[in-house]
Amino acid sequence: MKCADVQRVLPEVIENRQDGELEAHLKSCPACSELVSDLKLISSEARQLSASDEPAPRVWVRIAAELRAEGVIREPEAATPAPATTSRRSWSAWWLVPVAAALLAGASYIVTHKPAPQVAGQQGPAVTTPAAPASQPPATVAQAPAAKASSPQNAKNREVAEASSAEDQQFLSEVSQRAPGMRVTYENQLRSVNNYIRDAQAYLDQNPDDEDARQHLIEAYQQKAMLYQMALDHVQ
Amino acid sequence: MESMQRTAVAGLVLAMCLASVAIAESRKEYRYNVGPQANVSVDAQYGAVSVKPGSANQVLITAIAKGDKVDVESQQNGNRVEVGSRLRPGADPQSGRVDYELSVPPDATVHLRSSTGPITADGLQGDVTLEGAGAQVEARNLNRGHLVVQTMSGPITLNNVHNGHVEITSISGDIHLNSVTAQLVKVESTNGRIFYSGDFGSGGDYRFSTHTGDIEALVPASASAEFSAQSLQGQVQNDFPLQPKQHSHISLDATRAFIGTAGKAASAVVMRSFSGKIRLKQR
Repeated sequence: MKCADVQRVLPEVIENRQDGELEAHLKSCPACSELVSDLKLISSEARQLSASDEPAPRVWVRIAAELRAEGVIREPEAATPAPATTSRRSWSAWWLVPVAAALLAGASYIVTHKPAPQVAGQQGPAVTTPAAPASQPPATVAQAPAAKASSPQNAKNREVAEASSAEDQQFLSEVSQRAPGMRVTYENQLRSVNNYIRDAQAYLDQNPDDEDARQHLIEAYQQKAMLYQMALDHVQ
Repeated sequence: MESMQRTAVAGLVLAMCLASVAIAESRKEYRYNVGPQANVSVDAQYGAVSVKPGSANQVLITAIAKGDKVDVESQQNGNRVEVGSRLRPGADPQSGRVDYELSVPPDATVHLRSSTGPITADGLQGDVTLEGAGAQVEARNLNRGHLVVQTMSGPITLNNVHNGHVEITSISGDIHLNSVTAQLVKVESTNGRIFYSGDFGSGGDYRFSTHTGDIEALVPASASAEFSAQSLQGQVQNDFPLQPKQHSHISLDATRAFIGTAGKAASAVVMRSFSGKIRLKQR
């Protein structure tokens, strides 16, 4: 089993699926092991939230803590106070699990899968494509040169993007059911952040050592996380 | 005589209109005694929320329900006060609207949330979190606390915010900062424009970042800061007399990046955009 296989079965993994091949891979791969551990933690938190009908900020605080621990978020100190718990949300906290998984996987990927320097392209603008549908995955692979499109890195890009697209569909579906009038608004915002992710990812693919592009990508994911959080807070 | 009758009828109609407004508008007041550093949360769903400093040991909340498909709930748990709107089925931004006016101890930690807003915080010294989806958000005259503002499309304006940490995030709302000096000022947007006017204080760390939104900083000649700007796919323009900085880590394409210092470079200002335009101007 490879890392990509693990990402495909993440939902089952966090449900404690027993699989010898999977266990063997987790023992030999610290990155996947940490990812699964993180997701199980998030899953556990989400269960508690669902049971008590309490809001989700703890989950996000936990995610933020994990990302800080991994160095994805670097801030001088805990500048973001924990949100107060006045929410009257009626969303099930469970849908956050795959969302958190996708975002965490995406962010973890940015840090842990820094490509080899020899792949680095020349400094130059990445191709910016016309706006895509909100739930369309960031089209990084399609824009990359053919030689790069087949690289393991871009295969991972594709997997992350596909997972993200599925979560986006679920997200928009939830919004449609709960607040049909808000769907267009959220769809437009989602399109914006996905375009940001797509552009930053495309640039980073062409300039793998560009720390500024990497930072843009991290911030794009953070904006997307905020959008999900907004929906949770404001759409009943 | 006929004129008097008309006047009387008009007066009657006016009185009925005012009465109907009064009936539709339900006003409630809540008072809670609190200790130092109380925690106050408002979840308005739909409607305006404004907070200002008041008594040191009392939270006063005025909730004005504008619609008929919403209930106001309020509670106190120790030093924590929560108030919010519970929407009834079928509620929309009109029928579910409640406006909240708060007076809180100056050192209170405040968390305000509304989808439609506007949201206003004025004169506080504690931590303040303001969240609005499409809400216009304004924070002014804040001192010392941490300020966190998040909107989806709502515009954000900060005036006279000092000596704390400031974190602003909006996906598509424009962000205006006037006279904001703090240890950390972090502003991120996807499509929105970031406009800063002020001197950046001393010893602050300022980070502005956008995807396609433009960034513009209007700075007095007396400013003391190190500036670096880079737009990966956009343009930069520097109209401020910066001193060149040696050992720059940015590979400088003058159309896409610049770096330099002003005064003693007491603060650090980093402006980054993916494809937006960045401009530094002297005030």
